[in-house]
Amino acid sequence: MRYRLILLALPVIALLVVSAGFAYVHWSKGGTGTGLYSRYWSPDPVQGYWDPDNFYQSVKSVEGVFKAALCIQCHEGITPGIVADWRVSRHGQSDNPVYCNDCHGNDHQHLRLPTPEVCGNCHQKQHGEFKDEARYGFPSHVLAMERAVDAKHFVDKPKGEVQSCIQCHSVATKCDSCHTRHRFDAAEARRPEACITCHSGPPHPDDETYFGSAHGRLYLAEGDDWDWSKPLTKGNYKAPTCAYCHMDSGRHQVAHKSVWKFGLREVNPHTSKNQVLRKKWIKLCSDCHDQEQARQWLTGLDQERKQAWQKLYAAEDILKDLRNDNLLQPAAGERPPYPMDWMDRLWPRERIGFFEGQASAFYNVSAIERDYFEMWYFDNLGAYKSAAHGNQAGVESGHRKMAASLDRIETRASELYHLSETEQRAEITPEPSHEIWMKGAYTDYNRKHN
Amino acid sequence: MIKTSACRVISFAWLPGILCLAAHTALAEQQVPPGPFTETECITCHTERDPVLVKQWREGPHSTVSKTECSSCHGDSHEDSGMRARRDESCSSCHEGPASHSYSTSKHGVINRLEAGRQDWQKPLQPGYYRAPGCSYCHLHNGDHGDTMAPDRGPEVRQWICSGCHSPRYVREQFANGKRQLAIADLKLAEGESLMSSVTETQPDVLPKLRQNLIQHRENVLLGVGHQSPDYQWWHGQPALDGDLIRIRDAISESQRRKRLLGNREE
Repeated sequence: MRYRLILLALPVIALLVVSAGFAYVHWSKGGTGTGLYSRYWSPDPVQGYWDPDNFYQSVKSVEGVFKAALCIQCHEGITPGIVADWRVSRHGQSDNPVYCNDCHGNDHQHLRLPTPEVCGNCHQKQHGEFKDEARYGFPSHVLAMERAVDAKHFVDKPKGEVQSCIQCHSVATKCDSCHTRHRFDAAEARRPEACITCHSGPPHPDDETYFGSAHGRLYLAEGDDWDWSKPLTKGNYKAPTCAYCHMDSGRHQVAHKSVWKFGLREVNPHTSKNQVLRKKWIKLCSDCHDQEQARQWLTGLDQERKQAWQKLYAAEDILKDLRNDNLLQPAAGERPPYPMDWMDRLWPRERIGFFEGQASAFYNVSAIERDYFEMWYFDNLGAYKSAAHGNQAGVESGHRKMAASLDRIETRASELYHLSETEQRAEITPEPSHEIWMKGAYTDYNRKHN
Repeated sequence: MIKTSACRVISFAWLPGILCLAAHTALAEQQVPPGPFTETECITCHTERDPVLVKQWREGPHSTVSKTECSSCHGDSHEDSGMRARRDESCSSCHEGPASHSYSTSKHGVINRLEAGRQDWQKPLQPGYYRAPGCSYCHLHNGDHGDTMAPDRGPEVRQWICSGCHSPRYVREQFANGKRQLAIADLKLAEGESLMSSVTETQPDVLPKLRQNLIQHRENVLLGVGHQSPDYQWWHGQPALDGDLIRIRDAISESQRRKRLLGNREE
């Protein structure tokens, strides 16, 4: 009888716990911000322009309901550039033009900043593909905004500062990241430059690694003369561009063939799922190259990743040893904590490696952890991007940098061991470094304004 | 007779005007030889024609700081001198590195690069003629030969230039956020400076290099904000400043530990 009761109670308890979990997640998304930590932050005023669906509020300076002709007449004087852009766009040139009010509404007190849903009213195929990308997980375009605001450092840092993150992550919330307003030109989005405003810089040097590859060099030499009105299919382009490979046939997704996941974490490229994806890459490369050749290039990429992760794990092991020996200074409890991270307060612990939250560990950490962050996020991703884009010089440079970083981490670790042993022999107990690490003009401001 | 005299008086009264007009027309229509001209020749002729422009140049950074000559931007040929100077390439040959890269990877830079072939570079640097602003559109707006983006021109001038394409509120909000980003970068700079100045005795060897990094990364935030380059605001800017602060603290705290050890030994 008792067992039966327990058996009955278990599913009920499980049901209650799961519902409570859902209710908690739902509740946590109900704050002034967005995402899982929405109750911990409010948006910077400029955020409405990057995430219009959640934060844009119409300008109230002009009253009235206007027809397209009047919009154009007035804005030709105020902002002539956007009108000129629209006039030559497909929206303006069509027999049945798409006018200002079709996207923005016509009541000037309740104007709309167009979201992907607004574009999707007409561009259903593209919008459908764009939304469907979510099933391939992150990294992807469609999940970029929610992953940005759910990052602990986004919540922790002053919102004015992290607006710079939101600009690129707005690829999930607006279409004009690639199809710039008010031309919205497909031809422009097909060119590699359309991607480089976000895909450049230390963690994702897609621009340098592509432009330095044989494909990129051919594009730079001849690309201006190619016919960019052609679709991204076999035979139309002499060399592939970002969109040709990542958004093949114009499919509005970049994550659907993703095997190596940006180089962020180690993946097993030989799972059955990844084998299927690999075949898709080989098929794509064979638009121009021999299949066997393509297969070998991808094997080369696997090998490059293996070597990269050997170096990265060697560095992680060193850091984990330092953590076990309490030699990371400042210790986790002596760093400015993430304000909403109660687990971190109960059990302060240094984050080492991807699965412990390495991505956010670039500011309130010790110097040797920061060295590892840069080795992982800058050197490693540079090497990966080079390998994936067929840029051998970049691969060599990335691995040289990783080896130098590993060497620095090893040297620094042995210095820390040596220092600690000398202190022990001299019977000196290290003073907590709280004073140096917890105070300062920015550190204090951050604590008050996150 | 009277009529003739009157005519004479009238014609004489108009004569200076007619002469002036003729002289000006001749000046405007005068075929300028293709060049090249010396710097003195450019300045002499244009002081007569565009005194304001020459004054702007004389007071601006190209004359006072870098001593850039007219031909550095305008080239040797008079025919396409305006077009040549309006293009980004005439600036980026000197303004290399982060100043140029932060712009060329921005959306303005990208659009300008892709439109370069279709763009009519004869057009004046005014709203409506350029799909995206190049260097000259913002910094030499409407042909102003000073720097229209220089801090001493004031925020109103920048607001006005950007508002040629963007809505006034959008520009205001972007500027306000830019100011907040810079204020935050300045707090990081102040934090670093204050940490370094707290070391009264022998400074760790790495500090001068770390100070240089701080200043460069703060400059990157400014370039990122000015050129609307997210990557310079962020990866080349704010988190790089965070890294500098970590390394400054690390250097100071290690030197303190070593000092204690040394003190202990001397005892």
